[in-house]
Amino acid sequence: MNRENSGYTIIYASVMVIVVALGLAFTHQVLNERQIANENTDKMQQILRSLNLDVSVAEAQPKYTELIKNAYLINDEGVKVEGTEGITPDDPAFSTELGDTQAKGLPVYEAEVDGSTKYIIPMSGTGLWGPIWGYLAIESDGSAIYGAEFGHAGETPGLGAEIVTTPFRNQFREKNLFRNDEFTSVAVVKPGQTNSRRDYVDGISGGTITSKGVDNMLLNSVGRYKNFLMNLHTANQ
Amino acid sequence: MDAISLIVRSIFVDNMIFAYFLGMCSFLAVSKNVKTALGLGVAVTFVLVLTLPINYMLENYVLKAGALQWLGEEYAGVDLSVFSLLVFIAIIASFVQLVEMVIERFSPSLYNSLGIFLPLIAVNCAILGGSLFMQQREFANVGLATAYGFGSGIGWLLAIVGMAAIREKLEYSHVPKPLKGLGITFIITALMAIGFMSFSGIDI
Amino acid sequence: MALSSKTKAVLLGPLNKNNPVIVQVLGICSALAVTSKLEPSIVMAIAVVLVTAFANVIISLLRKTIPNRIRIIVQLVVVAALVTIVSEVLKAFAYDVNKQLSVFVGLIVTNCILMGRLEAFALGNGPWPSFLDGIGNGLGYGWILVVVGFFRELLGSGTLLGHQVIPQALYDAGYENNGLMMLAPMAILLVACIIWVHRSKNKELQEETN
Repeated sequence: MNRENSGYTIIYASVMVIVVALGLAFTHQVLNERQIANENTDKMQQILRSLNLDVSVAEAQPKYTELIKNAYLINDEGVKVEGTEGITPDDPAFSTELGDTQAKGLPVYEAEVDGSTKYIIPMSGTGLWGPIWGYLAIESDGSAIYGAEFGHAGETPGLGAEIVTTPFRNQFREKNLFRNDEFTSVAVVKPGQTNSRRDYVDGISGGTITSKGVDNMLLNSVGRYKNFLMNLHTANQ
Repeated sequence: MDAISLIVRSIFVDNMIFAYFLGMCSFLAVSKNVKTALGLGVAVTFVLVLTLPINYMLENYVLKAGALQWLGEEYAGVDLSVFSLLVFIAIIASFVQLVEMVIERFSPSLYNSLGIFLPLIAVNCAILGGSLFMQQREFANVGLATAYGFGSGIGWLLAIVGMAAIREKLEYSHVPKPLKGLGITFIITALMAIGFMSFSGIDI
Repeated sequence: MALSSKTKAVLLGPLNKNNPVIVQVLGICSALAVTSKLEPSIVMAIAVVLVTAFANVIISLLRKTIPNRIRIIVQLVVVAALVTIVSEVLKAFAYDVNKQLSVFVGLIVTNCILMGRLEAFALGNGPWPSFLDGIGNGLGYGWILVVVGFFRELLGSGTLLGHQVIPQALYDAGYENNGLMMLAPMAILLVACIIWVHRSKNKELQEETN
């Protein structure tokens, strides 16, 4: 058989592509379930980190079920959408992505820590290089931040990537999203600068665009929950 | 405006070589004189600019979860991302082969000066790296992806030409024997990388 | 199983005198950016050993059937398929490490060691020596990675595999972690140090010109 024959080359290439494609599809099928389980655990860990709890992979699931009392979707007026309650990964609150235009509402998680209720909302935005995301745990007055968690896909190590570190996240604690009953969000300013109109935290030095991204994410993502938070704010004053 | 700042950032701040060490093999092997370094740099930039938009289109209209939605609603759930690596490298390899044939056909003189490096480009980490970073960073449109490819290529070119220039001068310096050749090249690369880090604070 | 002296050379040569990274200058590309911690370095090293070994075996088995014209593409497809499998397995069983390694798992495809060994060895040798050659070269690459990761994590964060090893007493006495070690350029500087030590011991490897 002539190895340099065109027909042979084409058949060889086609057979190889089919074999490889089948192999990969098979591997993907076999491992897919575990991968999804991992992604869910990772999401639970992130949600728990917004409550200032850093738990291991093994503890994530039980801790999540223990602390998260309820989860549901809300509409733009801040009212719970009927029939969306449930905290498991299959329920709408957990499976809804924030950027999804066809979603039935915005996800909210209710957690109970030391007898008081915290509301956890997801955030998503863009940093310097790509998507950034996070979770914000808010006290029952709808304004004071209990804890924050951030994640990123590919920010510069040592600079923008610093938003995931505890010192940066801890700055958000006890900051207020409302000032004089007006939604102002929390500003991320250049280190050393101040902001007289809004509560603020120091950004990352050298990670200006990522810091700005966090600022925008807080303003836009949390802004979509404005009515929901306002309702909480007026109810609990 | 976005595109320009993206280009500047990928040349200086997130330089393929100095920030991620991508394309080091050919960087070390071909940085002995400025002329060949320049040739390889141009070829790498060329292939990056051509393959990034193609891989971007494939990623967003074929491979990504839900990317096949344009075919009809029933395809919205299809996720082919497991094949992305395979498709990217196939595109890059076939493109390099295509570029090689085109250059050979139309400009034999350019082919002769680049000839040996062209097949090497298929396994240049910077090229596949460009596509993988493009996938991870989810650029908003194909223009930005092309701009990123161009910037990364120019950044790579700048690094290899700079390195070659330093190594030409190095002929005259007295380097400890065990460090001669490879060792000193590594140390210079590290020092250049630290130098490039001073760009990281710039606000564009 | 007793190894003949030839197979021993195939397996052990790449660990020292014929090391892919510090002698053949192959495969520095993808991996140095992941060595800021020991754990991803080890995972990366294992992944590369596996991919090199099995790619070598597969290409060696196919070597008499591959059409010469599409040789490079066939090799890349085999490697890309193996790397995709490794990445899928990591996603399923080591999700955290996979996140840290991000695009660098995919970049194993263009690791020059792979293509270098496939071209230079697997195309001309049987499956068993090819397998050993793959393991040897993967390990030769891996130990450099692990050494670099070890020093960067120890000096940069005072930890090893996430456990604190530098005692608190030392910090109280004024010791500080070297933040510079966490930056990417230090990886390449550490490799330069390894080369320095290695070539001081193996004088025949020293180069004449700069």
